[in-house]
Amino acid sequence: NTTTLTTPQNEVDTLMHKMADEAGLDLNMELPQSQTGSVASTVASSEQDELSQRLAKLRDQV
Amino acid sequence: QRGDSQQVQDSDRVWNHHKQAFEYISVALRIDEEEKGPKLQAVEWYKRGIAELERGISVDLGPGTGETTERDKRLQSKMATNLIMANDRLELLAKVVSGSS
Repeated sequence: NTTTLTTPQNEVDTLMHKMADEAGLDLNMELPQSQTGSVASTVASSEQDELSQRLAKLRDQV
Repeated sequence: QRGDSQQVQDSDRVWNHHKQAFEYISVALRIDEEEKGPKLQAVEWYKRGIAELERGISVDLGPGTGETTERDKRLQSKMATNLIMANDRLELLAKVVSGSS
């Protein structure tokens, strides 16, 4: 279905904001500090995990 | 007793060293994962990454048990795991490089 692809972005934005208004949400609301901290923490954690996995794959390979 | 600003500073130091280490070791891995990659270059990037991991791990987060401190300590322990693994890899590569030249 290509209908969604041809919908102009500004119409999508307008609709999103209309729906958010109705739901009482603020789309531009910033995340509180502790939230951004935990997002950064999750990213950092998974980055270290990624290194572990890649290093493990190379183990004993010459 | 550590103040809040001290905690934020220490936290930032751990994250910054994590970021640097991640970038350096990612470069090393990209080279190392190529069968014919220039292993000597990988060795150099591993060394840089290892130095950053060591700096990040050596940040003393104190005895605090707050959420942020716990989180930073978990990150440090992952960094410690990677320090061991990267050192092992470096040791093996160093042998290969010195043997082939």
